[in-house]
Amino acid sequence: MSTATETRVTASRAKSLRAARRPGARRAARREAVFGYLMIGLAVAFVSVFTLIPILVSLGLSFFSWDVITPPQFVGFKNFTRLFSDGQVLSSFGVTIVLAIGIVVLQIALGLLLAVLVNNRKHKWTKALFRTTFYLPLLASTAAVSIFMGYLFDAKFGLINYYLNEIGLPSVPWLVNPTTAQITMVLVVVWQQVGFTFVLFVASLTSVPTDVLEAASIDGAGPWRTLFRIKVPLISPTILFATVVAMINAMQLFDQPFIMTKGGPGTATTTATISMYQTGFQNLQFGYASAIAILLLVIILIVTGVQFLAARKLVFYQ
Amino acid sequence: MTGSFGPTMDRRTLLKLGGTGLALTGLASLAACSSSGGGGGTNASATLKMLYFGDQKAATTIQKALQPQIKKIDKNAGLEITAINGTDWNDFIAKVLTQIAAGSAPDLVSVATEGLQQMAAKQMIMPLDSYVTKDMSSLKSYFDDVHPALVESMMYQGHLYELTDSFNAGSMFYSTDLYSQAGLTAPSDKWTMDDFHNNAEKLATLGSKTNAFDWVVRLWGSWTSFLYANDGNLLTEGKYSGGDWLWNKAYADNPQAKGRRGGWKWGDPTANSKAAIEALEYVIELQRANLSPSPDVGGGGTLQGLFASGRIGMTIGGGFWAGGLHNAGMKDGSFDVQKFPIWKSDKSLFGAGGYGIFNTSKNKDLAWEVVKMLVKPETFDLVYPGNVTTPARKSLMTADRYKTTGPDHWSVFWDQLDGSVPISAPPYYQALATSLNQRTTQAISSGNAKAALDGMQSDLEKAQANS
Repeated sequence: MSTATETRVTASRAKSLRAARRPGARRAARREAVFGYLMIGLAVAFVSVFTLIPILVSLGLSFFSWDVITPPQFVGFKNFTRLFSDGQVLSSFGVTIVLAIGIVVLQIALGLLLAVLVNNRKHKWTKALFRTTFYLPLLASTAAVSIFMGYLFDAKFGLINYYLNEIGLPSVPWLVNPTTAQITMVLVVVWQQVGFTFVLFVASLTSVPTDVLEAASIDGAGPWRTLFRIKVPLISPTILFATVVAMINAMQLFDQPFIMTKGGPGTATTTATISMYQTGFQNLQFGYASAIAILLLVIILIVTGVQFLAARKLVFYQ
Repeated sequence: MTGSFGPTMDRRTLLKLGGTGLALTGLASLAACSSSGGGGGTNASATLKMLYFGDQKAATTIQKALQPQIKKIDKNAGLEITAINGTDWNDFIAKVLTQIAAGSAPDLVSVATEGLQQMAAKQMIMPLDSYVTKDMSSLKSYFDDVHPALVESMMYQGHLYELTDSFNAGSMFYSTDLYSQAGLTAPSDKWTMDDFHNNAEKLATLGSKTNAFDWVVRLWGSWTSFLYANDGNLLTEGKYSGGDWLWNKAYADNPQAKGRRGGWKWGDPTANSKAAIEALEYVIELQRANLSPSPDVGGGGTLQGLFASGRIGMTIGGGFWAGGLHNAGMKDGSFDVQKFPIWKSDKSLFGAGGYGIFNTSKNKDLAWEVVKMLVKPETFDLVYPGNVTTPARKSLMTADRYKTTGPDHWSVFWDQLDGSVPISAPPYYQALATSLNQRTTQAISSGNAKAALDGMQSDLEKAQANS
């Protein structure tokens, strides 16, 4: 903290103390405190109602057997012991991780590539056009996108296979074969989500100091060297943020596979959240479904923690 | 940071209060989660709430159409129909259960075979035995008109849980246009799997844009129809004892009621039986031979669209297809229907729909009067306009009913009920449906029916043990 700032803070505190000694100042300070707590309270209430309480209730429920209709019965750690021996549920976590890795890698790489390409455009209107175009899918309802994509990738009458046939190529069993179904799912998610990372990267690239780029240019650095040695390190905090957010979202993947394949073929696209839904809402085992939710939460926390640990070595803060 | 805030509310106090609030909210949520049970009583002059599988627009139309009938029962009573949207019954049941868990206490439910045993086993709906016994004389005309197979499918552990008003038997629809182009004649009611296969091969000669046969992955009318025809099932077939209270009074002189008991008892899984493997392998072979495309999961809208646009030669459908295909633009005469082909047996499947009363209803007597009204002949077309399902009453199965929609051989819907078995929907139907979807798509993509059905057998054994 600079000396000038310290002087300003000290002066402000002295002013507050002087004011506190004045009559009525105590009441004003209390009002200010109440207002402050109120403001914090709103955020705390929001997080509590929509995040904290559901997590706590899920944690509580994970120790119960509950079918919605009859009262819950305490079963201790039974749901968790069952979970670690349930091949199908564990496989859904494997599917989730595979899909998440595919989604995150492609989303970050494509988002960065598009951002660099757009950032290099000279005209402002072309930048604005591309920014809007790439961001638009993000505004569409995921359910609507999934239904539409389901038709597009349909093996029988899908538009993609139609055009493949038109140019003499054979139909691809997009959603019918386990491997192609997983690839299709990654493509669909990335198509919709890439706008988010793209916008972050564009904003971050714009803030790269021009003098650094000019210096690199004078030193003879080409576009690729400038990108990987100058720009990427300088925007690495944004890359870390985008990766963490994309990973958390991908680990909770539900809508696209549920609507497009119902988790199939077989269990090829049955993610942990689909498994949770089937266990809770279809098989009426809400306690067990809560245990799955808790495990997913723990995995997301671990993955996020690992990302932050790795970031210590890889992320460059100015 | 010290001295900045007043002493009236410090951070610790706030956290304490917040913590207490959280704990109380958590406890309250858990307490609210358990069902409150239901009072019995009757409060006439009430508005009954009914859950209905479909969209709200249709529900509201039905609600309005039924109001005059409701007023005849009680001029102060009303009926509010809440639609529950879903791709299939699996979806519908999940959402009904969620509503109930959220504290909603509807009075009536319109539910099909898929959900009957689950709701009965969970004591969500109540047995209607005492009401039926009390009103047996006025219900005589109803039972005289309804096939006993349909009534038996609405029973569980000797009790009747729903009065049925509709059903759909898994028959074989075919495009008369494509049949004609392929030089085929209409199949007879004794046609066999060989006939079916020969017809499929001839339809395939029409070109790559025509699929000889198509189907949807689901419990009703899927490869399960082939399984039934192959004299198999996913679960061991059995019947609960009891039910004499009904059969001896309502169907005393009806030969079709012979051997009827207290409802279908679905026993140990037989998903990897020889019959099941053979049936699933058969549909896989159809796909390998380009006689059938890869099937969709659930629903049936896409299949209907493809059939209506003349791209499918044959598919499994019920009476609901008559209205569905007509509404999709198919003209009467451009499609027809025949019983499902005979394989090792002439066993076929069906699913029935009806009305049950929730145990939580506070207006059970009034709800019962409404159920009786809903199964009256004059109510059927108010609820199901345009042949969107098959009437459970034989008196409503007339040539006049099908003259605008077709098909010409509409009588097979009813005729197929003799010797048919309802879809195997045990109390753990949801788990069964999920496994069926997963394992069928697994078999289709891998081409290995045996491995997939071994997996399904294991899934069903677990589901049965957990139910």
